[in-house]
Amino acid sequence: MVLRRELGTEGGQVDNNVRRRDDGERRQRGGESVGRRDPEKETRRGKDKLRERRDKEEVDRRKEGSRERRSERDRRDKVVDGKRNDEDKERLRDKEDKRREDRDKEKQREEREERRRHEEGGETERREKQDREKRDRHRERDEDKRNASERRERKHAEVKEDGENREEPRRRGEERERRRTERGRHDEKRKHDSRPREHRGVKEEVGGDGERTERDNVKERKHREDEEPERNRRRDPTGSRRSDNATDKSHDARTEGEAAARDPRATAEPAAEDEELADYEDDFEVIVHAQAEDCNAWFSCFKSVFVLCLHAVLAQKPDYEEDFEELDESPDEEEEKEKEGSEVLEEKEELTAERRKEIETIQKAMDEENQRVQSREISSTEEERPRRSTGSEKTPSGDSQRGKFIDFVAAKQREVSEKVASKQKKRSTELLRLIDLDFSTTASLLDLPPVNEYDMYIRTFGTENTKQAYVQCNEDNVDRDIQTEETEVCEKWTQHPPEHHGACGDPNLSREAQDKSEMSFDSRRLATFLRSASQVMVVLLEERRADRKSLEKTKSPTDSMSFSDGSLLLNTQLPFLYGRRVSLLHFSPAQKHIVMSVHRPAGTPSAVRLDGCSVICIWNIWEPSSPQRVLIYESEVQCCCFSPGKAELVFAGTSVGSVLLWDLREDTEGHYGLQVGERDWTFRLPTFSTDAVMSGSGHLSSVTSVEVVPSSSSSDVPLLASEDESSGPAFHLASLDEVGVLNFWVVLELPKANEAGSPTDLGLRPGGKVKLLHSSVLLAAERDSQRDAARTGPLQTLRLKFLPTDCNRFLIGTNVGLVNHETSHGLKAPPRFYGFQEAAVQPVDVTSIRFSPFRRHLFLVGCGDGSIRLHAASQQRPVSEWRNSTSGEPVVSLEWNQTRPSVFCVLDGASNLHIWDLLRDDSQPVVTEKLLSDRVTAMSAFGDSGQQHTYSGVALAHESGKIEMQYFTRSLTVSSSEEEEKLESLVTEAF
Amino acid sequence: MEGSDTYLIRPNHQFKFKPAIVKECIREIVRERLSGMRYDPEEVPELSRSLANCIKDKVKNAGSDRYKLVVQVVIGEQRGQGVKMSSRCLWDADTDNYAEDVFINDSLFCVAAVFGTYYY
Repeated sequence: MVLRRELGTEGGQVDNNVRRRDDGERRQRGGESVGRRDPEKETRRGKDKLRERRDKEEVDRRKEGSRERRSERDRRDKVVDGKRNDEDKERLRDKEDKRREDRDKEKQREEREERRRHEEGGETERREKQDREKRDRHRERDEDKRNASERRERKHAEVKEDGENREEPRRRGEERERRRTERGRHDEKRKHDSRPREHRGVKEEVGGDGERTERDNVKERKHREDEEPERNRRRDPTGSRRSDNATDKSHDARTEGEAAARDPRATAEPAAEDEELADYEDDFEVIVHAQAEDCNAWFSCFKSVFVLCLHAVLAQKPDYEEDFEELDESPDEEEEKEKEGSEVLEEKEELTAERRKEIETIQKAMDEENQRVQSREISSTEEERPRRSTGSEKTPSGDSQRGKFIDFVAAKQREVSEKVASKQKKRSTELLRLIDLDFSTTASLLDLPPVNEYDMYIRTFGTENTKQAYVQCNEDNVDRDIQTEETEVCEKWTQHPPEHHGACGDPNLSREAQDKSEMSFDSRRLATFLRSASQVMVVLLEERRADRKSLEKTKSPTDSMSFSDGSLLLNTQLPFLYGRRVSLLHFSPAQKHIVMSVHRPAGTPSAVRLDGCSVICIWNIWEPSSPQRVLIYESEVQCCCFSPGKAELVFAGTSVGSVLLWDLREDTEGHYGLQVGERDWTFRLPTFSTDAVMSGSGHLSSVTSVEVVPSSSSSDVPLLASEDESSGPAFHLASLDEVGVLNFWVVLELPKANEAGSPTDLGLRPGGKVKLLHSSVLLAAERDSQRDAARTGPLQTLRLKFLPTDCNRFLIGTNVGLVNHETSHGLKAPPRFYGFQEAAVQPVDVTSIRFSPFRRHLFLVGCGDGSIRLHAASQQRPVSEWRNSTSGEPVVSLEWNQTRPSVFCVLDGASNLHIWDLLRDDSQPVVTEKLLSDRVTAMSAFGDSGQQHTYSGVALAHESGKIEMQYFTRSLTVSSSEEEEKLESLVTEAF
Repeated sequence: MEGSDTYLIRPNHQFKFKPAIVKECIREIVRERLSGMRYDPEEVPELSRSLANCIKDKVKNAGSDRYKLVVQVVIGEQRGQGVKMSSRCLWDADTDNYAEDVFINDSLFCVAAVFGTYYY
């Protein structure tokens, strides 16, 4: 606004100035000048410093570039505005003055005309100087501090007036005045000493834009620096120096102008300002134009630098301004000096001290203002821009084109873009805090493999005269390069020795087997069905064959026996039975057609390597052709028995003191198979053996008897084959050895067989399910008295029999002819023993004790001396005693007939078979058969009194190993009701 | 001075750049424009340019607001040579995505890729 106003009034400005100067003169003359001027200087100085600082900041913020520079300018404008406000009062006053001046304008113009005319006479140099001063003043006006400098301008006017008024003296004392001016200038210099630096800062900023500019800067700087020493010397008022300086400074404006001409930056500004001046300062138009022309050339060269240059120029302006101010003020100082003389220097020193303080305060104020301005600036840059441009457009006439050229359009754009950029930058920094950028994985947009030659060929020529064909072997694997069969791999394991189950196997197999068993309940049922059905079939076939044989036999009278209704030969013509004597025959109490035969170890070596072993064969008498099972054991088996109920378990006692158990249900596959002759035989080792395992609790001498302890409930229901039995409620087993140690065992069936064998039960075969658990031990062989012991030697216990009616009571046959009656819990049973008629102790072995299957309290005792006794369980003495019935031969075996209660058979040591029938004759056997041709070593009675088919007979084992089943004739088989009564009567007769 | 700004740093779901949809757009345009075309070096530059513009317009209308779209269309002659094209981007994987489609016939191949970068 101010600018515009001033431009508008430019026509009369000079007069104004003159008026003002008049005013100023008046005022100064009024004595205010010193007081007023000093603060002004100070403020200026403060401003300078501020500017300097700002410029330094500019250097720092060089990066931020022209925007900052622009803002710097703006700031300055603002500062000016601020000042303007401060000086409103003055301005008002000035306006009044102006009005007055306007009135006086005419007069003054005339005066000036006259003056000029007058001056034209010779003092061109001085006028030039004055004009330059004026021009500079105008520049000042152009400059931001127009209002601030108004007063100063007034002073200028004063100076001018002085100059005019005192033309003569001035002319005369030109030298002196110059000196004065010099001094004043020095004062100014002192104030402005920071300027050059300021310039430098600005120049440095611009420096990079052009070499020339830089050079000029340097020049200018040098120029300034040259002046610096002068400034330093200011205080000592050496006349010659001063004069030198004065001459320098008198040409100052010119030199400045020249420098500006050289320096596009410097000239740019004066040129621009000169444009304004051009209208009313005709005299200097030429110079200005020359400068402008120079500038033009430079401008064209440094277009790109314009914005920067301009800025630099603006930054420089104050320098010029101040320079000329100096000139203006120098007259004042002169006056002062005239008044105050040499004291001025001292006063100035004082003043500087004062000033510094003031400067500081002012600086602070300026800083604050600047900050405020700066903050406002950022928002208002846009608004100021047009104003600025219009302002520049107003630069009058001739050089206005250039002014437009310099115009801020480019800068504006630039600034806008910078602003946008900074905004975006800010935005991006803010956003980047919120966002994570990451590299995407390399996305393959297109992957077009090169076409191979064949395809290319086919594509181009494939359709011509060709036919495609291919051959493929192994059609499944078209995509395979190698098409050989894959090697099959499977896992196996082996174990040595292989006699136990699972000598080799497949780890996967067991799983498969499990799977199979899971899915094949039906097949299992089928298997059981087949097994039983095949058994039936085999039995039928065997029977038929046996019938044919027996028919043949009956035809041959030699074989027939008096008591026999026919016979059946078990096929013992087996290689592994060759040359073995049968020591025992034993029928199962429940399954009466099952018989086992114990074959002693063979004396002569045979082809089969089982020589040292006892062999036990389990036969079904309906299948005489081959044994059902073949059991083997290393040492001699002394005694054996079947399990109660179904004949599933076989127990045996051996001469080495072990108790053995075989589980007949075990599969054949787990056992030692051997091909003998044309058949495969499976030889079963005991499922459980107390050998060595139970050494602590087992037998230490040979076992003479093993017996199953009848269950307590068995008195009513004789051991029937029940389902419960097989699923295994445990039962007890008793084993007796020679020295009278009676062991009780619990027979346990494990829920699951362990193929790997049990780590704790070392007696249990791997895969075995039934085991013996030692339950208790009893020393059965109690001597009656020491006296007896002395007579008969050590007592041997030979036979063990439990009372079928009471499981706690058992009989033990001894080697003294007595049968001890004992209980398992140490209780005393009424007859302590069953003895001879004579009640004497004889060294006679009890070889056999048999309870009657019909009258359970009656039992027969066979002795080594051939005597046979019939006892009732309640009486010590026998019911009847038969001596010499065997002619002194020891009784080997004694058997009740299974179908007739009053019939029993006795086999003696001389291979005589005596059949007693108490009903017919209770003093001697009814039949005595001498079997001398092939001695009989063992005998056992069998028979079934079942409803459908009653049969009975004896199985005879011959020395040759032949086992013969002799069926009794009908008279010996079919019982009558009298027989039991006969037995009862015998008992009652005896007591 | 500006106050602290608030930014919408995630697009609404319905405005999100959906590659499947964009791919369909590309496919449609490319199929329509290129099916049966023979490679002609004279007209391919113009063709690819117009394709790119076409795709860009279509995708713009497909409703990906606030997305800056970059469409790249490459048309090359198909003579049995191997071609590999891949892209890599530094972007915010949460918002930005791309879709591409390839069209190949006997004479030429065309790869059109649209990169959508979210404009926060």
